[in-house]
Amino acid sequence: MRLAYYPGCVAQESGKELDMATRWVCRALGIELAEFPNFSCCGSGFVDEANEVLNVAINARNLAIAERAGLDVLTICSTCQGMLTLANVRLRDPAVKGRVDGALKPLGIEYRGSVRVKHLLKVLTEDVGLPALKAKVVRPLGGLKVGAFYGCHLLRPADEMGSESAEEPHAFEDLLDALGATPVLYRGRVMCCGFPIQFVKPETAQRIAATQIDDAKAHGADAMATPCPLCHISLDSFQNKAARTVGHALDLPIFHLPQVVGLALGASPDELGLPRHLVPTDAALAKIGTRAVA
Amino acid sequence: MPEATIPAEFEVYRFDPAKDRAPRYQRYSLDLAPHTPVLSALLRIRAEQDPTLTLRYSCRSAICGSCAMQVNSKSRLACETQIGPEMERHGTIVVEPMRNQPVLRDLVVDQAPFWQQYEGIEPHLILDPQHPMPEGRATSMTPAQVERFKETPRCIACAACYSACPAVSADPGFPGPMALAKLYRFVVDPRDTAARARLVRIQPNGLWLCLRCHLCTEACPKDVRPSERIRDLKELAIAEQGGTENGSRHAVGFKENIRDRGLLSEMKIVRQTSGVLGLASQAGQGIRIWRKKPEILKRPPPIEGLDELEKIYEALDTPPKEGS
Repeated sequence: MRLAYYPGCVAQESGKELDMATRWVCRALGIELAEFPNFSCCGSGFVDEANEVLNVAINARNLAIAERAGLDVLTICSTCQGMLTLANVRLRDPAVKGRVDGALKPLGIEYRGSVRVKHLLKVLTEDVGLPALKAKVVRPLGGLKVGAFYGCHLLRPADEMGSESAEEPHAFEDLLDALGATPVLYRGRVMCCGFPIQFVKPETAQRIAATQIDDAKAHGADAMATPCPLCHISLDSFQNKAARTVGHALDLPIFHLPQVVGLALGASPDELGLPRHLVPTDAALAKIGTRAVA
Repeated sequence: MPEATIPAEFEVYRFDPAKDRAPRYQRYSLDLAPHTPVLSALLRIRAEQDPTLTLRYSCRSAICGSCAMQVNSKSRLACETQIGPEMERHGTIVVEPMRNQPVLRDLVVDQAPFWQQYEGIEPHLILDPQHPMPEGRATSMTPAQVERFKETPRCIACAACYSACPAVSADPGFPGPMALAKLYRFVVDPRDTAARARLVRIQPNGLWLCLRCHLCTEACPKDVRPSERIRDLKELAIAEQGGTENGSRHAVGFKENIRDRGLLSEMKIVRQTSGVLGLASQAGQGIRIWRKKPEILKRPPPIEGLDELEKIYEALDTPPKEGS
C-alpha cells in the first residue's frame, strides 16, 4: 500500500513523536509513505474561519499534488483529516469550485476531485484490517485500560466527514481491542479537547480538557489515546495547566494513536518518542511490561 | 397487523430540588413497538406506572421544540427519537434532562439562561427610523438574499444545541450556538441596519469561544447547522474588523503564517494571538514544553511551491474593509 503522507504541521514540529511513531508503524505494516515537500498546512480550521474559499483552494492544491501522483492521502491528525475532507465536500458547490478553479488554473493546477483522504485510524482498521494487525502483535497491551479520544473533526459534521458514526463510533475501540488493550467507554470520547480556544481563552479550554480527562479516569482509564496531535497538545502538553485550573490532579498519560499500535507491534517507547510527553507514561508502560530509557 | 413489541428498559433521571438531596435514576420496563417515540413511552410510563414523572412537551410532532432532553447522552427531541435503535445500540434507554440549564424537576429544566442569551443578541430587525421602508414593501428581499440565511429560520428554539455545547458548559458567558446562529441571520439580512454594530459587539462577547466542535450541528433536529453559521459570522467579523480579539488574531495570524512559509510556526502564532505580553505570561509553560519538545522554537523551512500559495492568496484573499 502506498499513500501520500500528509503529516501536518504539528507532527513536523512539537508533535514530532507522532511522526516518529507513524513512520515506525507504517514500516512495520508495509505501508509505503510517499512524501511531498510541497504540501502546505491545511489551515487547521482557522483559515476556514478567516476565508472559506481560500481555505478550500489551499487544500485543493494539496489534494491536486496527491492526485497528480495517483495516490490517496494519509492523514495523522483529526483536523487535517477534517479540513482536507471539507475541501472535497465544498468543491461540490459549483460556485466554490468556480472560484477555486479560477485561482488554480493560471498556475497550471487542476484538481479533478478523485483523491480520498484517509486518517491512519481508517487505514489501520479498514485497509490493513484488524485480523492482519492482530497477527503482528508481539506485545499485547493486556491489562491496559485505554480511553479512545476521537477528536471532533474526525467525526463531525458526520454527513460531511463520512464518519462511521458521529455519536457512537467504535473503530478506535475495535483497534484497541485488537491490540489487546481494554477500551474504556466514556461520554467524553466524542467530545472536544478545548484546543481551538487554548490561546483565545486558556482557562475555558483547560476546563474542557479536564472534563474529558476526568471522565476517562472516572471510567477506569489508565491512559487516553488520540488520533489528533492538537488534542494531544490540549490533553498532554497543557494537562498541568488544566489541573491547576480545575484545582485537582489529573495525571493521565496521553498516547498518540500510532504509539499504542507501535507498542503492541514491539517498538520501544523511545522509538515512539514517548519520553517527549509532558505527562510521564511510565505507569502505563509498566502495566505492559516495558519502559523508556531516555 | 400490529407491529411486534420489544421489551424496553428505561432509566429515567429523577430529581426534585425541593425534596431530594441528589438525583437518582428510576427504572421502568414496558413492551413497546420499536417505532415508538421516547416521548410516547414516557407518557405511557406516566399514565400507567408513575404519575409523578415530570416532563415538558407539547406538539409531539417535532415542531414546538418543547421535549428536548438527553437520550443516551445525546440531546434530542424525545418525540422524534425512536426506542428501537436506542435499545439495539445501548440495551437500555437512559433519559436525562438537557445539560447547561438548571433542573427544575425530573426532565424539566429552567431555560432562562438559554433565553437570556437569545435576548442578548437582539433577535429582531433593527431598522433605520430615518429611512422607513416603503409602504407594502417592508419585507421585500431577493431570493438570493434570503438564500444566505435559509437554514436559520428552521430553528424551533428547542435548545438541544445549547445542551450539547461544551463551550457553554465551561463558560456560561458564551452565547451558545442558537443565539449566534440567529445573530448571523440578522447580520446578513439586508433590511437590518445594525449589522456592523452587531459584529463589533459580539466579538469580545463570545463569538471566538466557539470550538467548532460541531456538536451543536449533530444535535440540531432541524439541520440549522449552527456551527457553520458561527463560522460564517466569524468570517464576516474578520472582513469587517480584521484581527481585534485573540480569536480573530489567531485566525488572521494562521492565514498569514501559511502565506509566508506554507506551514505553521507554532511559537509565532502564539505571539500573534496573545501579543508579546500574552506570550510572556505563558513563558513558564513554554519553557516546560520546550525542554521536552525543542522544535517549538524552530521555524519550519518554507515549503516548495510557496509561490503558488502566494498567487492563490492574491486571487482569493481580499484585505479587510477600509477604516477598520
